[in-house]
Amino acid sequence: MTRSRAISVTAVVAVLVAFATGIVSAWSAPFGAPHPAAAMSVSGLTGWIFAEQAAFYRSLSGFIRASKEDGAAMWELFGISFVYGVFHAAGPGHGKAVISSYLVANEETWRRGIALSFVSAAIQSVVAIVVVAIAAVLLGATAKTIGLTVHLVEIISYALVILIGLRLLYVKGRSFLVACRELTWRQTPELAFAAAHAAKPLSAATLQSSGQRPGAMAMRAGQCQVDGCTAHVHGFHCHDDHESAWGHAHGPEPTMLAGAGGWRRGLAAVVAVGLRPCSGAIIVLIFALAQDLFWTGVGATLIMGLGTAATVAAIATVAVSARGLASRIARTRAALGMLAMRAIEVGAAALIVGFGALLLAGYVASEQLWMFTG
Amino acid sequence: MIKRMYCCCAIVLLLLSVNRAEAHPHVWVTFHSELLYAVDGTITGVRHAWTFDDMFSAYALQGTSHAKKGQYTREELASLAQTNVDSLKEYDYFTYARADGKKLKFAEPVDYWLEYKNPSLILHFTLPLKVPAAPRAMQIEVYDPSIFVDFEFAKDKPVSLSGAPPQCLATYDLPHQPTAAEQAQLNQLDAVPLDPSSTYGEIFANKILVRCP
Repeated sequence: MTRSRAISVTAVVAVLVAFATGIVSAWSAPFGAPHPAAAMSVSGLTGWIFAEQAAFYRSLSGFIRASKEDGAAMWELFGISFVYGVFHAAGPGHGKAVISSYLVANEETWRRGIALSFVSAAIQSVVAIVVVAIAAVLLGATAKTIGLTVHLVEIISYALVILIGLRLLYVKGRSFLVACRELTWRQTPELAFAAAHAAKPLSAATLQSSGQRPGAMAMRAGQCQVDGCTAHVHGFHCHDDHESAWGHAHGPEPTMLAGAGGWRRGLAAVVAVGLRPCSGAIIVLIFALAQDLFWTGVGATLIMGLGTAATVAAIATVAVSARGLASRIARTRAALGMLAMRAIEVGAAALIVGFGALLLAGYVASEQLWMFTG
Repeated sequence: MIKRMYCCCAIVLLLLSVNRAEAHPHVWVTFHSELLYAVDGTITGVRHAWTFDDMFSAYALQGTSHAKKGQYTREELASLAQTNVDSLKEYDYFTYARADGKKLKFAEPVDYWLEYKNPSLILHFTLPLKVPAAPRAMQIEVYDPSIFVDFEFAKDKPVSLSGAPPQCLATYDLPHQPTAAEQAQLNQLDAVPLDPSSTYGEIFANKILVRCP
């Protein structure tokens, strides 16, 4: 490992550990004695975000009213909407965690991470607009009906998140088991020696030498060779069942991004996440509608979505980079490192299932529109 | 190896942190509360008047049929008022009472109605105590532990007593501006539900104190 890399690793680890400290102290607080000193640095930021987004949200109504008389106020409204979106994405229900976990589990590129974040935020805004347009504008439904609709959409969204998580967990769990097995072979000296030579003959030899290997392994080895992994020395690293061979520093191939299994797979995740409209957007839209400014509300909602996307994309990029970093470190450890990467993927997939279940159970997000309106 | 482990742990923790529920209010309520006394000097309940912010008021009014644009009569709002109090049951009406430190229970609300004063909806309702109490110190708190709803005392005369014995004195404490650390802890409350015996959320509660020495 070069010196500069070592420094950057240390820096990233320091940032993440700082995060972790904040989380641990914050999580334990309701049960134990508060630790104000320990939580200060992180929670200072959290508190600030919290105060800012509340202030921006409250100012929205004034700007919507003002834009009725004054066209210029509309641009201010749009500006505030964007900033509110940026801050609000730090709040619950915007699927940052699900998207980030998904990107980590699925070994996605940061470019796709950013694209998926924007698509998910766009879907979220459009769902809010469609719900209000159909329910309120066309049908004249009551807040109660709208609240129930949103609740129903939420449940569907959370259920889909769980399903996607389970699927990933299954796929990644299998890869993890495979990596486990490979680790055991790798430790036999004969194979370790062979690995240093050429991967192609090796994978064939390995598969032949172990009669009990399941057929699936043979297929994966075949895929690896097609993918061109054999050009690299670390032949064992490319047995996975999706397109990007891990640990390779080069960027995504255009075909990879456009591939049917690529975008479509990613879209399923962002649709699941984005389905759930933000209650703030619903309230803003209905307020605008009550002022006969529905289209202003639509504009504000879309721009809010843009702000949300910016934050989610930033977080997703951090998650993807952290993973990239981990995989670079892991590469120096060959088989064991790969096992760790597979473990991270399995963990991330499990987190998606966990988030979905928590959201479904109503423990995490508390944006309950039906608090007063049934 | 150790660094790698750090990194793995850090990623997982980062993701957890990203998901930490950080609710923020979508509903603002400014409120007046009146403590009701029986002739014998016992406290029988609390009468609330909650004024909602303009955006939430517009949301709640959506789809409510009314004869005149911009005006809603009490009758036109009756079914919405019913919905409000029905929904609030699940949240204990965000009202928590203690008599000399002991928790008291409220019965179902009575005398509830909605009033519309452009641009705000005002919810009036009375929460009777299950068992009337005559404590030396009565404490009523109004807050939402999940902070989806932000409660704030009204500017003018937020607390009053109705029919109280002359020696009783009502005071109220504004919730202090939470420090950053307290705010962060508060943000956890909907992710980690409070232990029923916990008094943690009271730091942020709007406290009404009535002393009858």
